[in-house]
Amino acid sequence: MAYLIGIPLLTFLAIVQSTFLGAFRFLDGRPDLLLLAVVGWGLAGGKTETLVWGLWAGFLIDLLSGLPFGTSAIALVFIGYLVTVFEGRVWEANLLMPLGITLIASLAFHTWNVMVIILMGRPFELSFALSRVILPSIFLNLILALPAVQLLTNIRGRLYPAEIDI
Amino acid sequence: MKRLNSRVIIAAALVILAGALLILNASGFLQPVQDLGMRPVTAIQSWFAVRYSALRDLLASPRDVAALREEINRLEADNARLEQEIISLREQAAEAAVLSALLNYARSQPENRYLAVNVIGRDISPFIRSVLIGQGSDAGVATGMPVVTARGLVGRVVEVFASYARVELITDPSTAVNVRFQTARTEGILTAALNGDLIVDLIDLNAELTQNELVLTSGLGGKYPANIPVGQIVSIRRRDFDLFQTATIQPTVDFDNLDIVLIITNFQAFRLDTSQP
Repeated sequence: MAYLIGIPLLTFLAIVQSTFLGAFRFLDGRPDLLLLAVVGWGLAGGKTETLVWGLWAGFLIDLLSGLPFGTSAIALVFIGYLVTVFEGRVWEANLLMPLGITLIASLAFHTWNVMVIILMGRPFELSFALSRVILPSIFLNLILALPAVQLLTNIRGRLYPAEIDI
Repeated sequence: MKRLNSRVIIAAALVILAGALLILNASGFLQPVQDLGMRPVTAIQSWFAVRYSALRDLLASPRDVAALREEINRLEADNARLEQEIISLREQAAEAAVLSALLNYARSQPENRYLAVNVIGRDISPFIRSVLIGQGSDAGVATGMPVVTARGLVGRVVEVFASYARVELITDPSTAVNVRFQTARTEGILTAALNGDLIVDLIDLNAELTQNELVLTSGLGGKYPANIPVGQIVSIRRRDFDLFQTATIQPTVDFDNLDIVLIITNFQAFRLDTSQP
């Protein structure tokens, strides 16, 4: 069921990010909706599903960008795996843990993208990328992290209600 | 522990799958699958793009009314001036035709064929400046085709699928365009800084550039047709100890509000290296 929800949801988020958020920029950074969806589902308790979500989200990012096909998928599967280490325990541990995990995930995702950009031979300047792209994008991701995790936790709760022992 | 191991295996399998697909895509075997898979996504994206554009225009319209009235007045004045200029240019054209015939020089006037397409989205990666257009190989779009608007040069088609294509803008740092200054009649290379600013480099130090001078494509290199407006000079940097002077230009095209672009479909780009689009 999570896959039936996830694939259209991620596709919708990719379209929104390309169509609407393409014009919205904080400096040169933008929120990474697909990354937030993968991280949010992982924190909500989806284990294997998060890995598949990461794969599909990565494919969508690569199809709608100039990045080589498969590179974002590798990054998001890896990030999804790391996030699921904390699965289900996020709210019990600390209210700020989703922010910390989103911060680490965003850093990892953008670091990977930077490596791919450099390997592609494109012009690149670290100070510009950090100040104008990476840090603003991480800031926007952090703003949306808690609502995203809460929303996906609610969705997962409705799809997979907790069993009650009578 | 067992659950952890199975997740590790699944994660590793998915990473290997993604890597295999990366290799297949680089080899070109995934193209038919991508074409088929992206058809419904492109259709939905086009639907959203049209409605978003209409909504954005509706929200901006009150502010635009006063600006539009001012623009109309300015355009009427420009129109009168241009009509006079047309008369003068026709006279010069007639003289040039006579001179051409005298020199036995045949000048070909290529008539470009255009394909109008909607811009349906922007590159998701913040490091790449490109847009997605709603037509692909099904409509005859091919890699290397120049893309323009009525105001000037937009970029070049770099990736084509069946139902959509990606256009790399001239504001992308990896783009280089051979340009010519309209008045100074000297050439340079236009590149984009990482923040999207357009800079023309390798300009002859002896060239006399002026503020607001129009910059056109020169046609050198064979990537773009000649005489397409690119921008106007904003600032000039010229130092005696430099080998060349540089100029920063303001593009004629508004890249933040691209809705419809024109693809020049009958332009044959000259390819030095067949591995590049």
